[in-house]
Amino acid sequence: MTLLALPGMLWFILFCYIPMFGVVFAFKQFKARPGESLFTNLFVNSPWAGFDNFSFLMRSSEMPKIMFNTIFYNVIFLIAGIAVPVVLAVFLTEVHGKRFSGVVQMVMLLPYFLSWVIVGYCLYGFLATDEGQINHILSLLGLKTVQWYQSPQYWRGILIGTGLWKSVGYSMVIYLCSITAIDRSLYEGAALDGATFLDRVRYITVPMLRTTITTIFILNIGSILTSDFGLFYQVPMDSNSLQPVTQTLDVYVYKALMQQANFNYSAAASFLQSTVGCMLLLISQAVINHLKNKEGSEYIAGEQ
Amino acid sequence: MMKKLCSIILIIAFTALLVCGCGPVSRDVNSGGEEVIKLRVVTYDNGSVPLDAKEVIAAANEVSREKIGVEVELEFQSKEKINLMMASGEYYDMVFTNSWINSFDKNASVGLYYDITEAVKEVTPDLYDSIGEYWDCAKINGRIYGIPVLKDMGSENMYRLNADYFERKKGMKIPERMTFGDIEPYLKAYKEDHPAAYPLAMDKSGLPGFSNFLERIVETVVVIPYDQEKPEAIAFWDNEEVMNRFRLLHKWYKAGYIQPDAATIDSTNTDRSIPVRIGVAWKGYQGYSNPEDWGFNVKTSIYDGPYISRTSEQGAMFAVCEACDEEHMKACLKYMELLGTDRKFRDILGYGIEGKHFEYLPNGTVFRLKAGQDRYNTRLYQTGSVVNASVESVSKTFLADPDQWEKVFEEYKTDGIYSRTKGFSYDPSKKEDIIAAVLAIYNDYSTELLTGTSDPDTVIPQMKKRMEAAGLNELLTDINSELDNWLK
Repeated sequence: MTLLALPGMLWFILFCYIPMFGVVFAFKQFKARPGESLFTNLFVNSPWAGFDNFSFLMRSSEMPKIMFNTIFYNVIFLIAGIAVPVVLAVFLTEVHGKRFSGVVQMVMLLPYFLSWVIVGYCLYGFLATDEGQINHILSLLGLKTVQWYQSPQYWRGILIGTGLWKSVGYSMVIYLCSITAIDRSLYEGAALDGATFLDRVRYITVPMLRTTITTIFILNIGSILTSDFGLFYQVPMDSNSLQPVTQTLDVYVYKALMQQANFNYSAAASFLQSTVGCMLLLISQAVINHLKNKEGSEYIAGEQ
Repeated sequence: MMKKLCSIILIIAFTALLVCGCGPVSRDVNSGGEEVIKLRVVTYDNGSVPLDAKEVIAAANEVSREKIGVEVELEFQSKEKINLMMASGEYYDMVFTNSWINSFDKNASVGLYYDITEAVKEVTPDLYDSIGEYWDCAKINGRIYGIPVLKDMGSENMYRLNADYFERKKGMKIPERMTFGDIEPYLKAYKEDHPAAYPLAMDKSGLPGFSNFLERIVETVVVIPYDQEKPEAIAFWDNEEVMNRFRLLHKWYKAGYIQPDAATIDSTNTDRSIPVRIGVAWKGYQGYSNPEDWGFNVKTSIYDGPYISRTSEQGAMFAVCEACDEEHMKACLKYMELLGTDRKFRDILGYGIEGKHFEYLPNGTVFRLKAGQDRYNTRLYQTGSVVNASVESVSKTFLADPDQWEKVFEEYKTDGIYSRTKGFSYDPSKKEDIIAAVLAIYNDYSTELLTGTSDPDTVIPQMKKRMEAAGLNELLTDINSELDNWLK
């Protein structure tokens, strides 16, 4: 038992626990002397800075807006990222043609493997002012064309749509596996007792998926302040006009530090992200455990 | 059992880390019996690493080993890699530094570079003499920390026009000089003939050299105008000329002279039909006007400059690492001296191997052969003195003036517009958090401002409000008090 866990534990120690000493960067004023080791530079050559490194985050008057964007999109992705794939997975299990459902799965999964840069350029093909497909269609219909990259009002929708389009197929596969694992005799019994499709979904599929859903929920809530940089920077092509709706914490940190390579500030920003994420993760786990005990149900939610 | 295992693993892991990860960086030692010093020189890659770099460096090393007993490992690195290397304390001997990437002023003020004030006079007097008055731009508090690359020391902005179209077809004259706004009739004429085309080339990097007539203090946000009575650092929007240019750009954008998606496209270089482009170079530069390259004759018309300031003089420099020992520092200087005085040697690093990458033309200029264009097409400033290298002709029939540099430097003396605060540099380390916040805000608007996409009269007030909330005034006060001290 212990021996089997060994590779996993080693991995965690090497790649998650040991690098944690890096949080020291957030509280130091890092001064590197060329040719000396990282440890000497960090612990001996660099003076402590207290909370000074966090001040640049507070300098921006836009911080409330940036925080709002980050949390807004993450909450939507948290909910839609579970609801949409579950619904799709349920529908897909009802498709009886093996080949057809295979093709559907494949087509939905493919976008997951594209990089955001490529997705960004594909979208540009649709949304370009001059040569874009959508504006061609609009002008064919006699409608007014739109300067998409200068019109922030559309972009919350576009970003959520693109984000889901890319990730839904992947999460759907996870739920599909869980559904396949459900004992078919439950459905047969229910059908004999006269349960409709919706009844079967409500009383069998969803309760059986609860463990998977909770696990994924807990995993995702830890990154509530971390946003997908590719989605919010590459897809809108870093367009200035769109900045009110695309600026998330990661994008802000990138823009502020791109020219400076300041390790302290970026460490401070990611320290903040991780702390908030860790707290939310612990809270949500506690809440779920509490609910679970109250219900007296026997399953264990994401216990590690 | 579990606990014991954990602690064993931890111990093993930490030891491994200490042994592999934290050992001191090994330095090159003299090889063999000969006294050859190897230097690690890191320069900017300007977008891509030349394919034949290894071969060319080996050829250059043969010459330098014989002449001064020095070999280099020349690395072409991206801007981000160089920044990271400097910030993380990696060992190098000499690095490319300047006012636009890997900031010389910032790194030299925090003590990352070797103070070569005495050494450069004693060890390499020829190098010292050849650079002359331009040492000023490499000084911090009167001490020399870098070696300026002699190149175009002032900046000249110019329009590059399709002469076939404007002069021959439309009968419009292209003058040698014009003002920024004078281009409008040309754009208009082309747009009337080609309603679906956009005559002014523009991509997301925006108007090149837009702030060249200002002394830049913090990027392009805090500047000192050249023509002020009493020099004072201001935000760029307080300069009328900048604002007028932004207004003109926006006017041209609305008139359809600029591609509507300019703020999102990466490059317009492949579109050879665009008749007007903007460039930053010097008088006599041929790179913009090779008809074989463009498919038409190009005429340039200068609209700005030459403006000479600390930032423009710091266009390219090399600095020696502070952690170098004396021997390596001297070797770096000798190498730079060789590059600055020996033309044959300079041409190797600049153009490649003679006969393979380039050949000499009868008038003494250099012509890049096919292999040179494809496999070793670096810009001269990346590898050392530009002035000491032979001048490049872009074709065998369209010859460049082999003595163009003398004329360019002569022009700086007669026509150069000099900044009054030349020599002043601001130490940004105290206000780094404000600068980071201000630059982040600037990046929220700059692309659309510099491409004409947004209206400066609506966008700049927003930007101003946000920057002031982020502490811009505190930054300006700090810079101006330093400036006042410097002026005294």
